[in-house]
Amino acid sequence: MPPDELLVAVALCAYTLGALALLTYFFSRAQWLRDVGIPLAIVGCVAQFVQLGVRFETTHIWPLLNLYGSLSLFAAMSVAIYIGFAFRYNLWFAGGFVLALAAIFLAYGVTWYEGTMPPVPSLQSYWAKIHVPIVVSSYAAFLVAFVFSCVYLVKYYAEQSFGAQAGSPVARWLSALPSLPQLDVIVYRAVAIGLPLISIGIITGAMWAKEAWGAYWQWDPKETAALFSWIIYLAYMHLHTRHAWRGLRTNWVSVIGFVSIIFCYLGVNIWISGLHSYKV
Amino acid sequence: MTAAARQFYAEFVRTFGNVLFAVSLFVVWGALTLVGVIVDQGQDPSIYFQSYAAPIARAILRLDFDNVYHSPWYVGIIGLILLSLAVCTFKRVIPARLPPLRPVSVEKIPLHATFEAEGDAASVRRRLADSLTARGWRMRERLFGGVEWSFADKHNWARRGVLVAHAGFVIVAAGTTLYWARGFSGDLAVVTGQTSQVAQTKMLMRLDKFAYTIDPIMTKSGMVYQPIDYVSHVTVTGNDGIPKRMIVRVNHPIDVDGTLYYQSSYGFGTQFLISRDGRADPNLSSRVFLEGDSFDLPGSERSVLYERFTPTVDKQSGMPTADPRVSDPAVVVAVSQAGNDLGEALVPLGGAIDLGGGWRLVPKRYVLYSGFQYRNDPGVPLVGIGAFVLLSGLVIAFYFLPARLYVRVDPISPQRCQVGIAATTVKGYDVFESEFARLMAAVKSESA
Repeated sequence: MPPDELLVAVALCAYTLGALALLTYFFSRAQWLRDVGIPLAIVGCVAQFVQLGVRFETTHIWPLLNLYGSLSLFAAMSVAIYIGFAFRYNLWFAGGFVLALAAIFLAYGVTWYEGTMPPVPSLQSYWAKIHVPIVVSSYAAFLVAFVFSCVYLVKYYAEQSFGAQAGSPVARWLSALPSLPQLDVIVYRAVAIGLPLISIGIITGAMWAKEAWGAYWQWDPKETAALFSWIIYLAYMHLHTRHAWRGLRTNWVSVIGFVSIIFCYLGVNIWISGLHSYKV
Repeated sequence: MTAAARQFYAEFVRTFGNVLFAVSLFVVWGALTLVGVIVDQGQDPSIYFQSYAAPIARAILRLDFDNVYHSPWYVGIIGLILLSLAVCTFKRVIPARLPPLRPVSVEKIPLHATFEAEGDAASVRRRLADSLTARGWRMRERLFGGVEWSFADKHNWARRGVLVAHAGFVIVAAGTTLYWARGFSGDLAVVTGQTSQVAQTKMLMRLDKFAYTIDPIMTKSGMVYQPIDYVSHVTVTGNDGIPKRMIVRVNHPIDVDGTLYYQSSYGFGTQFLISRDGRADPNLSSRVFLEGDSFDLPGSERSVLYERFTPTVDKQSGMPTADPRVSDPAVVVAVSQAGNDLGEALVPLGGAIDLGGGWRLVPKRYVLYSGFQYRNDPGVPLVGIGAFVLLSGLVIAFYFLPARLYVRVDPISPQRCQVGIAATTVKGYDVFESEFARLMAAVKSESA
């Protein structure tokens, strides 16, 4: 097995086992599961970045020019951003969800692996090394925001249902999670990473498009889908300034935003033909 | 101004200055954008009737959803957003940027701390000020009703982040408008050896040579013919009248007198030998037809459409192959009589086809043509500046948290004071909660 494929296999195994450990930790709060999950998350993430480096070193082709490569970076960046958040704010309880999603996206990316192919002329640009990592990193930040929004919503609705039963196991488990305002702040911080990144991504994409296609904006489905996602997160940021909307409603907007990101990332590439169709 | 006009103005400002109204506009903008992603844009009406049920296709066409990004709806919603942005900027963002220094009820602000400190009021105030200044807080003192208040601000300049982002959005919109008003763009196909001119410019472009590289690559799913390079060698004559040799590649456009020319496509032109009763038609036989061109046969109702060029035909099956490199080429032509299709045929280069009525067609030779896009966009610098300003605003707004501390020191005894500190930020209290707790712990220990 070539080294890069071996490293992908290592990452997939690490994410899967890490997801199992941290998901169990989410429910049981057994510390040893956390202590197992954290190294696995780090190992998987490092293996992925090394794999991308090895792939570039051996093929001399920028590894992010197809869905396999970009999904690989997406998974790696999601885990990397999450690890950063978890270390900073002690958020290991949600790691199982991030690692599970990373494993799913990485496994899905592997199904698109076709071997080494030189890039088509429009992708032979230094912009590929700027635009693609930035956009994919923004998607990764939104994935982290999505996970914490889901945790927020689960906690919110669970508190509505079980909150009154003080002393019950569910109420005790809920109280071990960060408070709703704290979760909301975490989501805000993740979106605050993603929104500038996707803005830079759209701008660098426009600069690249200007060089390759003759216009910085072509109303291509990929461009407009990215604009759509940008609008959603812009709405999120505006709503977050309103006290009455902060919390439940903004977290639903964050969930919708991530659905739009996945549509923009995978749906448009796979189902809708356009100038970005070659990325598959 | 009459009372009615004042009332209208007040209502207008109230509505357009409301953040929720702005978000509603975003929702409509997003929905229209999504329509453009899902519905193929700029297609022939018949395509929509083929793809959708008749009522939906009719709705798409009547609502301009087939060209939604240039529809009155889309332009109108962006106009409304700009209007809302302007009103919000002047009525909400600018006034809110510089809140006045005023006393507060410390206990009523969710982020607050109270503790006792040793020393008289002046020395406690000084120690607090030293502690906060060392952490980057800017201190100011004011007297309100005989009570001395201290105010500490951090990242006050970042209160302008939203204002900067709004300004960036307006500059981008101005740059885009400049292109609509003054710019132009289009497509140009130049056949090898021929010269073409863009209507809006005086530039002449001659295609000396076009070359492409396509590599066959074996992948896990089978053979793929991967394009590697498209390159046009051209001679251009601009306003100075001096011909210059240039090379146009994908990602490497050329600039001629402020208009950019891009490599966008290529194709195969074909010269046919078209004869009737054995005598060549000199007009039709001298022309090079591009894929998609059609011509009428003189003295008949018949027309011929040169549909496409097929670079390689399989010798055994006689059918086109997937290989886009020219090996055994053929052309596909379709014949119609008074608008009725009579059929199409694959004709190898050098082969012949009988068109009826004594007419005969022989694809004689092929010649490559190169497709260029050209664009003159005077708004690009503005859009670039606007994008930079917008981004700067977003970074300022997201990564710097302007916060204000309200500090009150009340003597309890000659050598002991009660300190009350409250904090507000432009993003609510939760986002500053942990930092405030750390800050208070540090300040308390330093001023105790």
